[in-house]
Amino acid sequence: MLPLNMAILKFFTSGKEACRADVQDALRAQYGTFRAFSDKQMDEALQTACSNGLIAENRLEMDSSGNLIIYYKSDQEMIDTIRKYVD
Amino acid sequence: MSNLANAPANALAAKEARDKSFRKKGILIALLSGFLYGGYTAFMTHGMESGVWIDFYGATGIAKGLSAFALIYTLSALGAAVNDLCSAVWSLIYAAIIGRLGDFKRSLRTKPGRILIIAAIIGGPFASTCYVIGLQMAGSIIVPIAALNAAIGAIIGRFLYKQKLSAGMILGIVICFCAAVLIGSTGMTGLSFDGKAVLGMAAAFLAALGWGIEGAVGGYACCIVDYEVAIVIRQCTSGIVNAVILVSILSIMGGDRIGTGFRLLGAALTDGPSIWMFFIAGMFASFSFKFWYKGASMCGAALGMGCNGTYAFWGPFWCFIVIGLVFGVDGYAIPWQGWVGALIMVVGIVILAISQDKATKEA
Repeated sequence: MLPLNMAILKFFTSGKEACRADVQDALRAQYGTFRAFSDKQMDEALQTACSNGLIAENRLEMDSSGNLIIYYKSDQEMIDTIRKYVD
Repeated sequence: MSNLANAPANALAAKEARDKSFRKKGILIALLSGFLYGGYTAFMTHGMESGVWIDFYGATGIAKGLSAFALIYTLSALGAAVNDLCSAVWSLIYAAIIGRLGDFKRSLRTKPGRILIIAAIIGGPFASTCYVIGLQMAGSIIVPIAALNAAIGAIIGRFLYKQKLSAGMILGIVICFCAAVLIGSTGMTGLSFDGKAVLGMAAAFLAALGWGIEGAVGGYACCIVDYEVAIVIRQCTSGIVNAVILVSILSIMGGDRIGTGFRLLGAALTDGPSIWMFFIAGMFASFSFKFWYKGASMCGAALGMGCNGTYAFWGPFWCFIVIGLVFGVDGYAIPWQGWVGALIMVVGIVILAISQDKATKEA
């Protein structure tokens, strides 16, 4: 089992686009009980990975409650970088 | 590949506000790391002037017969070891409270975990020892050389992780460096450039290199490993390597027996009058170093380490408040260079932050 932040990054090596809720759905079975699995901390982990060029913002949406939803995606160069660190 | 240009205007506005808030938080965290470093410096300094440490430095009591080498080098390493061990305990307790111990164990077996361990050894025992050696051999002229760590971190971030480094950002770093030189200049006396002094300056440059590597590498690692986990790895590594390996090596080098270091370590860890100050210093160190990593991961090495560089002012400031005012020890008042240097540093950080923002928008 990988540490949570590394599992988040590994998820993006598939090359698929995903928002925070998509990542949480994919990882909930293994990491759902982690305190760092909260919306706020997951958002911050994604934004930090984005500001360091491991994932990139790909699409923006507003949900029915007026909340911003950001979809992230990694290109091949980012995927290669993630794979260098995440076994 | 990005579809951001087609996003609704309200979504773009919300994203811009979110980015701004993230950026402000990053700068605040990086500044806080420098501020808390001052608290760590003050309590550790006073801890090393209290209780059993008076015997240590007087070579009396348990420290009777200690070599002159040990009084300079082994005791410095011992102080760092006691502080880092206390800080490791704090970090482990805090990680347990916030539910990160599992990820700590899992991270140790990963490549980023191993990178953090190496960064901790380079920035902890290695750089700190180089700094003390530099001070002893060349005097306080090495303070500005050691302050080059932020510039080195920015260069490493640029080449290793392709982080932004514009002309404006370099100007900001240079201004911060000049401010650190001004603050550190107050203790400069009897400058000389003989062979010993040159070796001391080389040692100080190695210290700056070590801290620069740690800031850039540790900061980047925090986008892969949670910073709450990274700090536990950092402080446990630094504490154990300082206490077990460095203190032993220095004991042998000084002609004292290998057991001398462990004997002094045991005495320091069980000394009531001083250990509580090390526990407070350890708490400050834990938060300061984790915010250093976190700030660099949120802002990039250049801005993160530039903001952290305010420790050059906060160190003397906290010493003045804690040791000078609270404990009533003379000699800790801040000279005018300290205050002017702090103002110049603020200007440097503002230029650095604005330039980085501009460079980000242009990218």
